[in-house]
Amino acid sequence: MKTPTSGYQRPASLTDAAMHYCAGCGHSSVHKLLAEVLDELEIRERTVGVAPVGCAVFAYFYFKCDISEAAHGRAAAVATGIKRALPDRIVFSYQGDGDLAAIGLTETVHAANRGEPITVIFINNTVYGMTGGQMAPTTLAGQITATSPTGRNPATMGCPIRMCELLNTLEQPYYIERVALDGHGGMVATKKALLTAFQTQVSGKGYSFVEVLSPCPTHFRCSPQDSLKFVGQKMAAQFPVRIFRKEGVPVHA
Amino acid sequence: MHERILIAGSGGQGVISIGKLLARLAAETIQHITFFPAYGAEVRGGTSNCQVILSSNEIAAPIAEKFDSLLVMNQQSTDHFMPLLDKNGLAVINQSMCKAHADDRHVLVPATEIADRLGNAKAANFVMLGVWLARKPLIPNRTVENAMATHFPDAPPALIDINIRAFRAGLDFSSSGDRKA
Amino acid sequence: MKKPEAAFFSRVLMMGNEAAAEGAIRAGCQCYFGYPITPQNELTAYMAKHMPERGRVFIQAESEVAAISMVFGASVAGARAMTSSSSPGISLKQEGISYMAGCQLPAVIINVQRGGPGLGSIDPSQGDYFQATKGGGHGDYHIIVLAPASAQEMHDMTMQAFILADQYRIPVMILADGRVGQMMEPVRLYEDSPPPAPPKPWALTGAKGRPPQYIRSLFMEERALEKHNYELQACYRQITATEIKAEETETGDCEWLIAAWGTCARISKGVVQKARAQGIKAGLVRPITLWPFPHERLARLARRSQVKALLVVEMNCGQMLEDVRLAVNGAAPVRFSGYPGGRVPTETDVLNALIELTKTNHHGKVEQPAV
Repeated sequence: MKTPTSGYQRPASLTDAAMHYCAGCGHSSVHKLLAEVLDELEIRERTVGVAPVGCAVFAYFYFKCDISEAAHGRAAAVATGIKRALPDRIVFSYQGDGDLAAIGLTETVHAANRGEPITVIFINNTVYGMTGGQMAPTTLAGQITATSPTGRNPATMGCPIRMCELLNTLEQPYYIERVALDGHGGMVATKKALLTAFQTQVSGKGYSFVEVLSPCPTHFRCSPQDSLKFVGQKMAAQFPVRIFRKEGVPVHA
Repeated sequence: MHERILIAGSGGQGVISIGKLLARLAAETIQHITFFPAYGAEVRGGTSNCQVILSSNEIAAPIAEKFDSLLVMNQQSTDHFMPLLDKNGLAVINQSMCKAHADDRHVLVPATEIADRLGNAKAANFVMLGVWLARKPLIPNRTVENAMATHFPDAPPALIDINIRAFRAGLDFSSSGDRKA
Repeated sequence: MKKPEAAFFSRVLMMGNEAAAEGAIRAGCQCYFGYPITPQNELTAYMAKHMPERGRVFIQAESEVAAISMVFGASVAGARAMTSSSSPGISLKQEGISYMAGCQLPAVIINVQRGGPGLGSIDPSQGDYFQATKGGGHGDYHIIVLAPASAQEMHDMTMQAFILADQYRIPVMILADGRVGQMMEPVRLYEDSPPPAPPKPWALTGAKGRPPQYIRSLFMEERALEKHNYELQACYRQITATEIKAEETETGDCEWLIAAWGTCARISKGVVQKARAQGIKAGLVRPITLWPFPHERLARLARRSQVKALLVVEMNCGQMLEDVRLAVNGAAPVRFSGYPGGRVPTETDVLNALIELTKTNHHGKVEQPAV
């Protein structure tokens, strides 16, 4: 393993392309952290990523590793196909909340249930960003979105789905953790979680899942600073930030 | 040679088993074969049937409208399929389970009773096969007997033995003079 | 289509579904992803038994949607991959098929058709012709569609499908039906090593020693999608120029031309002999590739002066009929004999339709509406 590069260098696993993400968006931060992990584990040249449909759809312009598109929600199934065909490669999917927890819930749950030795990175920012800030499965109760204009009403729209908790009911996953990208501490924690997840795969241990509570200032309708507070306070209150599964064993809160 | 065979009975009487066995063994010497087990709407209500076409020429339509041979093992199948017997066809009817009118084209055989006496009523299908094969020797009897063990690898030896004896009883039934009804 | 060279054969009695599965295995299919649905279950079960035995990948997916997405993934990784299903399940796979067409990914999809629309029945049908040949999923694309009529062809065409898929980087569908899938016939198995796959420099195998690459069907840059679609069309033109396949029976002097595919073509072959025995000069043209469709062959046959009329026979309400009429383009009347209820027509059914046709006045070959 390579020594982590110091602070503000561009990871070798990122291309030179300027990212299209909004100011204050969590995607660009997670991209950088993920690229650092690929660098540090020296796996860039044997990694195949799967991009979602959603804001991160252009991930293949930003990562300097092979990346495939997937239909909306199907990333875990596509990653399954790649990993089964090439078991010695490192395969990850990178998905948002609509992609992973709504249309792709089936694929997500069953890939985890089979214990596919892939790494699933779940960016939870409580909204469909790309399509204009619609309600997601993880939208908080009362939260205003384009399709819940008077706030999400649990009586008719359901409550936010907690994916880590849901997947933790399964036997096969090896590593499940939720982190919050709510500032410097959150960046450090996210990097550590991503590193653990990829190490899990590199050492052939099994399925790893990292949920990142992530800011979307555009659709939170607030400043980047306030969006970090939303993540660290409102979101973290609904989605407990902790390790759920470690070395295949459930971790109790 | 172009022989259109239909085997029918109730589920569990082994009509698919002997149809498949017949098709498998025929494949060793006969060039063109089509075996079609009825599925879907055709098999609802507990009946089961399969068609076997054996031919020295290419089989165009893989389904027959009339049959040269009918092996019918229960009343429902007899009622349903006898109208499909070709005017020069041969019907082997399980007399133990069906009432059928006397007709030159019919061989009535108490297959279930014969099989029961040998120790297992479920071997009636092999009695039927024996009766039919004695009349229509399209494949050698020895081939059938030899294949009993290899074709049903999961069957216990005692059952295979009963099946062989049932098959021989069928052959004997046909050769023991005029037993037509 | 190229035949695998130097093949040796052994003859075994096999169900069509199993013959297709064995064809895939012998074609070097590395990954199979399935989901239960009648009447193709024997194919999935066969793969479940025989793929792991050979150290290859078998997954019973959580849905047809997931299964085709796994095929997508395996194909992205450069593997020969296949899925199979029946009509309602094939509808669900259209998402993945469209994406694979857009991403130019090879794959083999077997559709053992059953009745529809909706849940329909589990009996044989040819109701998915439109879906298979006119796109099926969204967007401006085609896939190659092969129509087998016997267990042997289930075996052979599945093998050919892998070769074509790799050659043109395109999904290939085997459009069978419940009858072909369920019946057993002697099959000569291909016994040579799998036909070699062409190099796949586009596959995503990790960017070792080369620049990273990606596979996508999203083209947001200015005019990029237009360019991409023209590239796809160029590929379709090449396939159309080289891969059309049709079979003719007794067409030399025929006055009454039957056009039928799959199971109906086989039945119609018998009808041609029966009709000729009665002095009716019948012939049969059977498209084997449904896409690309043998338009020119049909047009040539229909324009012959002795051809009085065509009869299209299908287990649907008239789907290939539309392609036949486009091809014939008024050169001869085109009539239809259809069986949409999950019932396989008998030779008598089709013969009666043909006799009826011969009794109609066809002066001047004016096209008449389909029956």
